Amino acid sequence: MSETATVSIKEQNKSAASSLMKKNLRKFLRNKLAVLGLVVILVILVACVAGALLGVDYSTPNPPIMRQAPSGEHIFGTDTIGRDLFARVLFGGCYSIFIGVFCAVLSSVLGAVLGAIAGYFGKWADMIIVRISEIFQAFPQLVLVMMLVAILKERSINNMLFVFVITGWMTTFRMVRNEFMSLKNETYVKVCEAFGMSRSNVMFKQILPNVMTPIIVSTTTNVAYFILQEASLSFIGLGVSDSTPTWGNILNAAKSIDVVQNQWWLWVFPGLAISLFVLAINFFGDGLRDVLDAKQQ
Amino acid sequence: MKKLLSLMLALSMMLALAACGGGGGNGGGGTPPASNPPAGSTGDQTPPPADGGGNGSGGVLRLALSTNDGSTKDDRVPTPWLNHNMATNLMWRCLLLADSSLTKTSPDLAEVTISDDGLTYTITMKDGLKWSDGEPLTADDVLWSIDAVMAATNKNSIYSAAFGKITEKSADGNVITLVLDSPYASMMDILAQFSILPKHSLESADPATIDTADFWKDPVTSGYYMMDEMSVGNYFTLKLNPNYEGTAPKIEKVTVSFVTDFLTAAQAGSADFLYGNASDLVSGMESLSNYQSIPVDVLFYKYFQFNMKGVDGNENEAMQNVEVRKALIKAIDRITLAGFYPTANVLNSGVPNSHEAYNGFEYEYNPEQAKADLVAAGYDMDRTLRICYYNNDQTSIDLINMVVYYLEQAGLKVEATLSNDGTTDLFTTRNYDMGFKGKSSFSMEEWYSEYMSTDALFANIFGGDTAFDDAIAKLASSTNDADKNAALAELQALEQEKVYKVPMFTVGNYVFVSNNVNMPAGVEFCNPLYTCDIDFANWTVA
Amino acid sequence: MLKFIAKKLLLMIPMLIVISLIVYLGLKSTGVDPINSMIPPEVLSQNPELAEQMREELGYNDPVLIQYARWLGNIVRGDFGYTMKNEKIIDIVAARLPYTLELSAYAMLFSAVIGIGIGIISAIRQNGIVDYIGRVLAVLGQAVPQFLVGIILIWIFSIKLGIFPASNRVSPDATNAFVDAFMHLFLPVLTLTIGMVAVLMRYARNTMLDVLNSDYIKTARSKGIPEWKVYLKHGFRNAMKPVLVILMFRIPTLIGGSVVIESVFSYPGIGTTMTNAITNMDYNLVLVITLIIAAVMLICSFMVDVINALLDPRVRLGE
Repeated sequence: MSETATVSIKEQNKSAASSLMKKNLRKFLRNKLAVLGLVVILVILVACVAGALLGVDYSTPNPPIMRQAPSGEHIFGTDTIGRDLFARVLFGGCYSIFIGVFCAVLSSVLGAVLGAIAGYFGKWADMIIVRISEIFQAFPQLVLVMMLVAILKERSINNMLFVFVITGWMTTFRMVRNEFMSLKNETYVKVCEAFGMSRSNVMFKQILPNVMTPIIVSTTTNVAYFILQEASLSFIGLGVSDSTPTWGNILNAAKSIDVVQNQWWLWVFPGLAISLFVLAINFFGDGLRDVLDAKQQ
Repeated sequence: MKKLLSLMLALSMMLALAACGGGGGNGGGGTPPASNPPAGSTGDQTPPPADGGGNGSGGVLRLALSTNDGSTKDDRVPTPWLNHNMATNLMWRCLLLADSSLTKTSPDLAEVTISDDGLTYTITMKDGLKWSDGEPLTADDVLWSIDAVMAATNKNSIYSAAFGKITEKSADGNVITLVLDSPYASMMDILAQFSILPKHSLESADPATIDTADFWKDPVTSGYYMMDEMSVGNYFTLKLNPNYEGTAPKIEKVTVSFVTDFLTAAQAGSADFLYGNASDLVSGMESLSNYQSIPVDVLFYKYFQFNMKGVDGNENEAMQNVEVRKALIKAIDRITLAGFYPTANVLNSGVPNSHEAYNGFEYEYNPEQAKADLVAAGYDMDRTLRICYYNNDQTSIDLINMVVYYLEQAGLKVEATLSNDGTTDLFTTRNYDMGFKGKSSFSMEEWYSEYMSTDALFANIFGGDTAFDDAIAKLASSTNDADKNAALAELQALEQEKVYKVPMFTVGNYVFVSNNVNMPAGVEFCNPLYTCDIDFANWTVA
Repeated sequence: MLKFIAKKLLLMIPMLIVISLIVYLGLKSTGVDPINSMIPPEVLSQNPELAEQMREELGYNDPVLIQYARWLGNIVRGDFGYTMKNEKIIDIVAARLPYTLELSAYAMLFSAVIGIGIGIISAIRQNGIVDYIGRVLAVLGQAVPQFLVGIILIWIFSIKLGIFPASNRVSPDATNAFVDAFMHLFLPVLTLTIGMVAVLMRYARNTMLDVLNSDYIKTARSKGIPEWKVYLKHGFRNAMKPVLVILMFRIPTLIGGSVVIESVFSYPGIGTTMTNAITNMDYNLVLVITLIIAAVMLICSFMVDVINALLDPRVRLGE
C-alpha cells in the first residue's frame, strides 16, 4: 500500500521533471544565440578531438615552407617554422578546452564544497575559510605561477591547472556560502536535521541542489575565463612551455608586429578560434541562465 | 539620506583613486586628459620634434635602446663596459678611437705608444680634458677604470682578457705606464673600445654591481653629449657637453627611447638609427621606404653553450660525457636553421669556415647516429634536457623551437625556457643544460677568451678548465699571421675535442638609418655593439 | 560604523603577513642563491669563504622564519631592501607604481562611465540601437583576448595611422605634458576599458532593468513624475549600488589585466617590473611587489565591504 504510493509519487515527480525538462528545452531552443553557441562549441570540440584522434601532424616543422599563406594544402597556412597551422589550432583547442573545462569544473567543486562547509557550519570554520578565500583573492596569480615554475623547475600544464584551480574557486565559494547561510535556517533543513539526517546529506543532498543553477552557469562561463587566462599567461611567457600548442602559445606569434602586418593567418586563425569559442560559451551560458533561473520561470 | 551619503562616499573613493593615479604620473595633469578628445587628437597630428631643436641647424637625433637584450634596463643608461651602443658612444670616450675595422686606432683621450718588446704601454693623456661636470679627466680615472672593470660582473670579457695581462700600472702626471706579463696583440684595439668612466662619481659604488649604480641614472660623461633628462621607463635625453674640448657636433640634442621592439619603434617612426640581425627585423625594415639598410661586417656568433660545472666543483652530471655533447650537436640540423637569418654561415668552431685558419672539421647532421650515440653514451632518455634562451624575438623563438624539435627527434625530452640571459642563468641556478646566446664579437679572440680558466663568467660554466689557457695566450700574443693561424689551429682542435659550445653560425648584421639623417660621405659603420669613428660631429638631422 | 571599519582594517594586517609568509617560504624553496647575483663569479670562485662570510653577515644561514621576521621588521620600518642587483626597491616602486595606478584609474573611470552609461541607455531603450551595439561590443570585448586587442590597436593606430605612440608613457620630445599623457595613455586605457566595459555594461543594464520593473518605479510613474526624473532620480540611484560593488570587485582583474597590457604597450608600470623580476628571478623585488599588489587588492575588498555595510546595515550586524 505504502509502497505503491511512494512509487506513484516518484513517477509523478519523474513526469513532472520530464515535462519541466521539455519546457526548459523548448525555452532554450527559442534562444537562438544560445543554440548557436552550443552548436559552435560542439563543432569546435568535435573538430579538435577528431583532429587529435586522427593524429594530425602539428609538431613537425618544415622550414622551407614557413610562413606560407593559406592554401589548399595548408588551409590555415603554416606557422613561423613551417608547421601546419590548422593542425596546431585543432590540437591547441584540445589543450585549451581541456584547461578551461578542467579548471572550471574543479574550481567550482572546490568552491562549492568549501562554501557549503563554511556556510553550513558557520562560526570558526566559516571564519577560517573566508580568510583563506580572501588571501587567495589578494594573491597575484602571476606570482603563484612563477613560484611553481621555479620550485618544480618546469613549465608544465599541471602547474597551470593547479594554479587556476586554487585561485579560481572564490567566486563560487562566496555564492554557495551566502546561499547556505540563508538556507540553513529554513524549516525544511531544520526538519531534515531533526530526523537525524547526516550533516553531509543535509549539506549536499538537501541544500546544495538549490544552488546548482548558479554554479552550473558560472562553471560554464568560467571555462571561457580560464581559456582567456591561459592565453594571457602564455603571452607574458609564463604559460605552458612552447612545445605544447595551446591556443595561447599559438597566438604568441602575434607578438611580432611583422607577423601582425604581413602574416595575418598566424594570428587571425588562433585568435578567431579563441574568440569564437569564448563567445559561444558566453552565449550558451546566458541561455542556460535564462532557462535555469527560477526567478524568470 | 544615508543611501545618498554612501553613494557619495563610494564615488569620492573612486575619484580619489583616479586623482592619485593622475597626479603620480610624471607631474602630468591632475585631470583626465580625455576631457577634450578632439583637441587632443588634432593637436597631435603633426608632432615635428625639430621644433625644440634650437637654431635648427643640426636637429634632434632620435635613438632607441632595446630592453630585450637581457642587459639593458629601462631605468638607466646601459654600461659601456658590456656592450656599446650609439648613445653610450656619444657619451663616453676611450683612450683611442677605432676605425670601422676596429683594428686601426688613432688617439682620442690619449696617445699610446708600445715598447719594442710589446710589454710596456706608455699612455700620454691629452691636456685639459674635463668630465661633463667640470672635474678634470685624469690618468687617475684611467687606472681606476681598469681596476673597476676587472671587478665588475657585467662586462665584456675582452677587457678582463686584456687587462689580466697587466702586471704593473702607474701614473706620473698625465703619463700612464702599463707593463704586461706577455705581449697582447690586440691591446690597442681594446683600448679603443674601453670607455673611461669617472672615478670621482663611481668610486663609492659597489664594484661588482657597478652597472646598476645610481650613477647611470644621471651619469657624468666625457663625450659629445651629457645627460639632460632621464625619464625612468621611457627615455633619456642628451644635450651638448660644454666641457667637450673638441668641435661640438652639429646635432644639438639626442633622445634615446627605451623600446621593447625595434621594428615597432621604426614603424611608428620614433627611431633614426637601429641595428640587428633577426630576419623579422631585417625584412620588416627593408619594407620601410624611409630607412636605408646597411650591411655591416660583424663576427656575430650564435651558439649554445653546455653547462658543465662551476669552479666550486658544482657540476651538471648529465653533460659531463663528451660523447653526449657531440651527439647533441649531431642531432641539430644547423644548415636548415641558418635559413632563419637573412645571411648566416654555419660554424664549426670560433673560426669561420671562410677563414684561412679553418681546419676543415665539420659537425655533421645525423639524427640516427645522434640517437645511437646518446644511447651508447648511457644518457638517460627520460631525463628532461633543459635549454634556456634570452632573446625573445620571433626568430630566436623559432630557432629554439626547431632545436627542441630536432632533439626530440633524437629521442630526448626537452624543455626550453625564456630566461634572463643565456650565461649567468646557467650557473646561478644550474637548472639548465644548454644556454643559447649570441655574441657580437670583437674578434675571434673574444670567442676563445670565453674558454679561459680565469674568465669571470665562463669559469663557472666550463668549470675553470685550464686546457685552453696556453693556446689562448699564444693567440693573444701572436703578432703575425703565421703565429696566429697556428694558435687558431690549436684552439680549434681543442674546442672540437672538448665540445663546450655548439657553434651554430655567424649571422649578418645590418644597421638601419632613417632618411631624416644626413651623414657625411664615407661613413662606414662598425659592429654596432662596439664603438668606432663615424664622423658623428658632421651628422645632421632633417 | 567606525568600529566596523577599524576591525576590517586591522584584519588586513594578519592577511598581509600570511600572504608574504607564503611567498617568502615559496621563494626560499626555489633554491635560488642570492649570493650568486651579489658577488661577481670570479670573486666567488677565488675565495668561496667570502660567499660564506657574506651569507653569514646577511643572515642567510639563520632559520628561514627568523630571516622572514627580519625582513618583515624591515618592511614595517619602511625599509624595502635592495634587489639582487643592488638597486633600492623603494625607488623602483616609487617610479613605477604611479604609472600603473594612473593607467588602472583611468581605465576604471572610463569603463565605469561608458559601461554604466551604455548599460542604462540600453535598459531604458531596450532593443534600441544603443542596446544592440552595446551588446555586440560587450560580447566582443569579453571574447577577444585583451593582448590581441592591444596589438591590433597598435597596428591600426600607431603603425598604419601613426596617431598614437606604440610604447612608453612619456615621449622625449613632448611639448605639452598633458597632450603627451593623453597620447600615451589612450591606447592602453582603451584596451583595458574594452575588456572592463563589457561586464559593467551587462551588469548595469540588468540592474537597471530590474529597478525599472520594480513596483516603486511603477508607482513613481503613476504619480506622473516626468520620465527623465524617474530614470535619473529613482532608477539610476538604485541601480548604482550593486554596480559600484561590481566595479570594486573588478579592480583585481584590472590589475591582472594591466600586467599583460603593460607588456603589450611597453608601459613602464609595476606590472612590467613584476614580469621582469619574475624572469630575472629577482626574488626580493617579487616579494615586495606581491605585497603591494596584495595590499591593493585587500584595500579594494575592504572598500567593497564598507560600501556594502553602508548600503545594507544587516551586513554590519551580521559580522
